[in-house]
Amino acid sequence: MSEPDIGNDQHSPELTIALELYDNAPCGSISFFKDGTIYAINQTMLTWLGYTREELVEQRTLPSLFRIGGQIFFETHFFPLIKMQGFVNEVYFDVVRKDNSIFHALINAREIPSKSRQKELFQATILDISDRWKYEKELLHAKRKAEADSKAKAEFLSTISHEIRTPLNTILGIGHLLHETPLNENQKEYARLLLHSSENLLSLVNNLLDLSKIEAQKVTLEQMPFHLGELLELMHETFSVRARAKGIQLDISIAKNVPKHLTGDPVKLNQILTNLIGNAIKFTKTGTVQLAVTVEQKKAETYQIHFSVSDTGIGIPPEKLEAIFQEFSQASYDVSVEFGGTGLGLTICQKLLELHQSKMEVKSTLGKGSTFSFSIWYTAADTPSPTKKAKKERRNLLILKDMDVLVVDDNPDNIFIATQYLDQWEVPYATAESGKKALDMVRKRSFDLILLDLQMPKMDGYETARKLRSLPLKTQPVIVAFSASAAGEVADLLEAAGIDDHLSKPFKPKDFMDTLLEHSSHRKKISADNVNLKPSVAASEGQKKKKTKAASEDTPNTVSFKIDRYAKMANNRPEYIKKFVLSTLDAFATYKQDFQNSVKTKDPEGFSNLIHKSTMSFYYIEADRLGSLLMACRDALQDDTADDGTFKKLAAECQAEFDTIIRGLTHIGET
Amino acid sequence: MTRQPFADLARQFNITISGKGSQPMLFAHGYGCDQNMWRFVSPHFEATHKTVLFDYIGAGKSDVSAYDPTTYSSLDAYADDVIAICDHLNLSNVIFVGHSVSSMIGVLAANKRSDLFSKLVLVGPSPRYINDEGYIGGFDRGSIDDLLEALDSNYLGWSTSMAPVIMGNPERPELGKELSNSFCQTDPEIAKNFARATFLSDNRDDLTKLKVPALVMQCSQDVIAPLEVGTYVAEQIPNSTLKILEATGHCPNLSAPEETVRTIQEFLKT
Repeated sequence: MSEPDIGNDQHSPELTIALELYDNAPCGSISFFKDGTIYAINQTMLTWLGYTREELVEQRTLPSLFRIGGQIFFETHFFPLIKMQGFVNEVYFDVVRKDNSIFHALINAREIPSKSRQKELFQATILDISDRWKYEKELLHAKRKAEADSKAKAEFLSTISHEIRTPLNTILGIGHLLHETPLNENQKEYARLLLHSSENLLSLVNNLLDLSKIEAQKVTLEQMPFHLGELLELMHETFSVRARAKGIQLDISIAKNVPKHLTGDPVKLNQILTNLIGNAIKFTKTGTVQLAVTVEQKKAETYQIHFSVSDTGIGIPPEKLEAIFQEFSQASYDVSVEFGGTGLGLTICQKLLELHQSKMEVKSTLGKGSTFSFSIWYTAADTPSPTKKAKKERRNLLILKDMDVLVVDDNPDNIFIATQYLDQWEVPYATAESGKKALDMVRKRSFDLILLDLQMPKMDGYETARKLRSLPLKTQPVIVAFSASAAGEVADLLEAAGIDDHLSKPFKPKDFMDTLLEHSSHRKKISADNVNLKPSVAASEGQKKKKTKAASEDTPNTVSFKIDRYAKMANNRPEYIKKFVLSTLDAFATYKQDFQNSVKTKDPEGFSNLIHKSTMSFYYIEADRLGSLLMACRDALQDDTADDGTFKKLAAECQAEFDTIIRGLTHIGET
Repeated sequence: MTRQPFADLARQFNITISGKGSQPMLFAHGYGCDQNMWRFVSPHFEATHKTVLFDYIGAGKSDVSAYDPTTYSSLDAYADDVIAICDHLNLSNVIFVGHSVSSMIGVLAANKRSDLFSKLVLVGPSPRYINDEGYIGGFDRGSIDDLLEALDSNYLGWSTSMAPVIMGNPERPELGKELSNSFCQTDPEIAKNFARATFLSDNRDDLTKLKVPALVMQCSQDVIAPLEVGTYVAEQIPNSTLKILEATGHCPNLSAPEETVRTIQEFLKT
């Protein structure tokens, strides 16, 4: 076989043209045998390479024109591919010219089919892609840089958000404390604004932290059994107060065929629903917010559960429907002015749904309302999730007085805030500024509960907890970690260190109290009956109470309520005490109304809401007996085995207690 | 070994068993492709043997999720997998046919468990690819770096074209459409890791320990494993036969299947 002779006059004109095209085509062409030996090469390729035809044909192999890496690649990938599928397209090689310089090529190759020929023949088309190579390299570089930048940005955001939470903790804590001191109207408003703004700031920071974690791909889905009904019930409890305050109805309905126990990620679901319901309430002025949960489809033991949150709010203009899922975007500037918010919530929801391979659907009519819906696949859980009902034990502030708490934190601000609350609630406590000091103290004195900061220099909270757990103590204290991380992030570490619970900084007083109550109730279960028998004045360690004469002497029934706390907060100034008392009186009028309504409808939820709503007022005037009675009422309604007589009796006692308190407060208010 | 056992080994290694015979022939592909490398060779042994083909974890249609870069950073792990396959399928008296890097994987496996194997067929073996004092491997260290770089660039160039394309292939209808361009598709990171494990290995000491009879098949012109390497391997293995093929290149199983089959058959008769 030899090279076709282009100048041969015996060729037909068509063949001459074809051969000329072959030789001067804008791409290189090399034909080769299966051992790689070059059989023919066109002029274009020779020009690119700088070789003469004689130097290559029958002298060199195709892979010998590549760099060594390319040669290995040719032998191990390229050639096997041609043999197996008859062709290979667009594989990149660096081709070495005669002067040892390199040009970048894409090579297509195929086996030339022939039955008659003895030797197998292959043909390669070579494209010079030096320009494309340059662009691709730049693109790749830009892409890698952008990805690295984005990752760095996410990490930076995550770090900064985390750092911001620590001073925010102090601001919020001080704000809450300030709010509870006697203030004039102006100051009260300032404190309210301060609190409101810091809470907004906190939610912004939390959102940023979430978003940056999702973007840094640090968020993964958990698989754990959970009780959907309880999750939704808790959500209802959380939002019904806010909804009622706006005069909106909040309905949550679960279809009967939705399995009670599911396996999946309840935390993410909670986050998505909280966001949607929060938004719905925020953007609705009148009407109803409704969450409907149904089964979309079922395959064996997996269920696709459909969640839909509808409102009768302001709605979203059609052209903005896409934009609302973008970061920092709300439907309009006015929206953010009027309703506030960061515009991150829906972005986070959407990303959390992406983790579930799901997507948010939204339908909306301007002025009429919106419906946000999504579906998630869950497996029906075989084993029921641990029920949280146990947590809803009867709580009473009195039992806190029997606790001995140790606060461990290297930051004096944090100690100050925590202990201010403990003072207020008359919880005996001690403090330690380091893990080492805490260990020393625990050796000397027995504590019921240790509030432990996780991030401390030298010995951190985990190490302190581990060492504590290894101490030969009669009874091990409850250890509650206290950190700027969310509990979910550090759950494994906490468990490994033997830490029982976690309180996220910054905390609201109610969270703090709930945590204390929960663990105190583990120690002692107090029934409604013996609450009254407890001395209502218990001296706490760091604090001697001054008795206010005005309060205890003038009130006809000292067991029902006391105004010592007001007196203390008002530094015993009568005009402030009076103000407190009058505003409490107003509140009690409403509570009584709520109570009577709930009695009429026999609605345990009404009682729950009332208990929730009245916690702080009851706390201030130490109306512990009434608090316990209300809880007993609710429990009697929830308890199917209890007879109606019990409830009636309890309700009557409540009514009497309300009357006593209102009479007493009125009396103080008038003096 | 602390590795987790394979939950569904046959699926995870994409094991294909054929043949009417009872003595197993285990065909192990080399660096670069998958069990398809044997498509012109293994069918010739189906009348007389039980042929077992598989893809290494990370290659072909294996379970990529079982791939762990740390575990598979040395050929040892691949040898353990070969043993695991034999044990799982209850194979014994195995004729191991390894191409390229699999030759050495076979040697390592046979040194760990000589009870499993009766013969080794080593197609283009190399115990060490990089030249050393008094040893010609065919490459210097820079060449291997060049290969890793080439792999990088190729995946760049392939970004669009290597996605499995459904393409008619009228000249080779027997291949079927689904195969087009899906051969040799490996995750770029796995390919690089395998290249590193392969080309940076040094298993010269393992050759002398081999107790199983071995056939060394050396091509006349092979950039990857030059003649000197084949001669060296045959010299080091105590009970070995060296056969230099007329075939050129590194893949006689593809470029000269007839000669490859004939040579193996002759060896098996001995």
